[in-house]
Amino acid sequence: MKKRILSATSALFIASVIWAQDGGQIHGNFSVDGQLYNDDEEIGAVKPPADFGLNSWSNLMYRNNNFEAGIRLESYEPALLGYPAGQAYSGTGVGFRYATFRKDDLEITAGNFYEQFGQGLAFRSYEERYLGVDNAMDGVRVKFSPDTGIFLKGFIGTQRLAFNNGFTKGTGVVRGIDGEISVLEAFPRLLPKLAEKGNNLSIGASFVSKFQADKDPLLVLPENVGLWAARAHYTTSRWDLYSEYAYKINDPNASNHFIYKRGQALMANATYSLSGLGVTAGAHIYDNMTFQSDRGAPSLFDLNINYLPTLAKQHSYNLPATLYPYATQPNGEVAYQAEVFYLFKRGTKLGGKYGTKLTVNWSGAWSLDSTALPNDTVHLMGYKTNFFSMGQRQYFSDLNVELRKKLSSKWELTLSWLNLMYDIEVVQGKSGKKDIYADMFILEGLHKINDKTSLRFEAQHLSTKQDQGDWATGLVELTFSPHWFLAAMDQYNYGNPVEKERTHYPIGSFGYIRGASRFSFSYGRQRAGIFCVGGVCRVVPAANGLTASITTTF
Amino acid sequence: MRKIILPLMLLLAAGGCDIVSDPKEGLAGPTVPGNDGVVRRVLLEDCTGFRCNNCPQAANMAQSLKNVYGDRLVIVGVHMKQQFAGPEWPYDDGIYDTDFRTEAGNVYDQTFGIIGLPSGLIDRAPYNNIMAMGIGSWSEAVAARMELPPLMDTWFEGLQYDGGTNTVSGTVKVAVLEPINGDHNLTIYLTEDHVIDWQLDGVTNIPDYDHRHVLRGALNSPWGQSLITGDAQPGDTLTATFSYPLPPNVLQPANCALVAYVYSTAGADQYEVKQVVERKIIP
Repeated sequence: MKKRILSATSALFIASVIWAQDGGQIHGNFSVDGQLYNDDEEIGAVKPPADFGLNSWSNLMYRNNNFEAGIRLESYEPALLGYPAGQAYSGTGVGFRYATFRKDDLEITAGNFYEQFGQGLAFRSYEERYLGVDNAMDGVRVKFSPDTGIFLKGFIGTQRLAFNNGFTKGTGVVRGIDGEISVLEAFPRLLPKLAEKGNNLSIGASFVSKFQADKDPLLVLPENVGLWAARAHYTTSRWDLYSEYAYKINDPNASNHFIYKRGQALMANATYSLSGLGVTAGAHIYDNMTFQSDRGAPSLFDLNINYLPTLAKQHSYNLPATLYPYATQPNGEVAYQAEVFYLFKRGTKLGGKYGTKLTVNWSGAWSLDSTALPNDTVHLMGYKTNFFSMGQRQYFSDLNVELRKKLSSKWELTLSWLNLMYDIEVVQGKSGKKDIYADMFILEGLHKINDKTSLRFEAQHLSTKQDQGDWATGLVELTFSPHWFLAAMDQYNYGNPVEKERTHYPIGSFGYIRGASRFSFSYGRQRAGIFCVGGVCRVVPAANGLTASITTTF
Repeated sequence: MRKIILPLMLLLAAGGCDIVSDPKEGLAGPTVPGNDGVVRRVLLEDCTGFRCNNCPQAANMAQSLKNVYGDRLVIVGVHMKQQFAGPEWPYDDGIYDTDFRTEAGNVYDQTFGIIGLPSGLIDRAPYNNIMAMGIGSWSEAVAARMELPPLMDTWFEGLQYDGGTNTVSGTVKVAVLEPINGDHNLTIYLTEDHVIDWQLDGVTNIPDYDHRHVLRGALNSPWGQSLITGDAQPGDTLTATFSYPLPPNVLQPANCALVAYVYSTAGADQYEVKQVVERKIIP
């Protein structure tokens, strides 16, 4: 394996030396996260055999005229506890490498690539590094624009599954094609008035198919499973309207309990914005839409071909972000979201001297309105659905109000209230647990002490009669611009019904920033919880220890 | 160049769709070789837990495969993870109070990086690059392992259970059929069938679920004992004599069985099970 790493690195270096004569450039970045663990019986933190974990990534990209090549070296010696979300990562090696050639509206990539069709209902290959999700393709991708406003993409390849001294791949072959027409760009004389106003309408369609051999002795499985999708996107200076529909043929897999029902998804989002006012509304239904390149994929984090966006606000505050975040239910959910923000202007009664921003957001998700078909032992369709009709079971709702107010040149405050309903049995798989009803209040303040020094603080409180009871979190962060920051935080589960589990989770950190480099260190307890990005969540185990992170770019 | 791009892209995507209207039509069924001669037997370790709501589905899958392959498939239910196989608070209310975990199960959970349950280890060999696999791969993975030729035969001799001392004793014999390279160990499990206890099935709590093939412990430690050092040649017969008390978590000795398997301890096939055999301790 060392030979492979050396040879790949050497090839890039030699290429850079050869082409540097023509003015090629090398860019890159580096990041490392390491943690030294302690045992901590009180919070259930167990020190791993190696005492520490370390994740590291180094990207090198070379560009010269029409040519681009890149490589990413990754190291997990061993991986941080709970990382990644799916199959295990271990060892050191090449995690990503590619070469791209562009000429005359044609782009060809060989090797690894990330790609997305529309919002991802048909296909999305992406990396969410700190979540530990990476379903990079390995194959060939072609992009071509035959005329103004017309964009075509096609690809074929296999997907990254895990990492063992280099990326390992799943067994299924994925191929796809996507076309998009920016109508007013391609045909400006068709609707000249709209084109003059800067409006645009784009329509697109995709077809994605996976191949996996059928060697199952118990069932006849489809070896080729296709999914098609169509989308439309209309924008004006004030409106942004988007809708996408996807349909998948029979795709029996572990996630849907090997039923042969078709899958479908429909999403629609609308945004209206004026100066000082924004309104967003969205809805979607996902029915049997898990689409993985291995029908036996061991978890919902592995080998996903498509991506199902969530309709829930992604909170950044500690308690709402890590205790009860919502994760998309790909096999079936109906969800809605609406958000309004209004900026009270300066000089008005509510706006005061600096203006006031009020944001109200609500989202909710329900089960499908479906009927089980237990007697269907021939076609194995599993259930039938009333499309876009909500089922009886509510998975989630989140009503939150945020008031952001600058009080003076030195003070800014944000006050938030959240009201949450959370079906922990479905969302986190904690069977037998009751639905959670919680209220949260959060006060965030920012005080500029002087031109270089600022103090930020957060006071958070969560109250619930279910699960682990009430929580409180306090955070203080001192920033000495432009180089240093210092922070301390404590989470306290003071309302836990089990007295001995009323635990503090203190953590202190400091960091140094210089140019494009950032160094940070923290020591303390990390509560077991959930970490989510875009509706995809992974479990974070309890930990106690010293964490160090370094990032830099060049 | 441009003229061929679009047809090429269409060709790339022209994978087609296979519509299956009758998922069970025309299945010839797996070929189960008769008992003539030595056959490859396969170990399916069903990583499970009584508080895991999807685990009954996996147990049903394992039993479906057992119905097809009979004695050629050895199933062991390895209960693991505190949140799935450990007791649930309040601890003395008679509901989910049992601790199904074993030292061996805890070690395998760590070693094989079991992320979630249910999960399966099939001969501890990767299938489609995955070692701990979801139930969607079990059927194919078991079929693939069944097709492999046997490298050795394994059987019990002189198996005895002494009710007075609660001890099981006997000898495991291993006859080498093909050249074996590398160190291999022998592990002996004690399993108990038909353990009646709580089980979460979907959203239903079942108080009297029939837990099958429950691992009660690895009698000679989770990683077993050395059996082959260096290599072994066809014609070699290796023996391991044992005598162990039954683990204290056993409820009914009459429902217990021993499972002995030989696996590689190092190299590219590390952990891979080469042969397995199961026998009830009280015939």
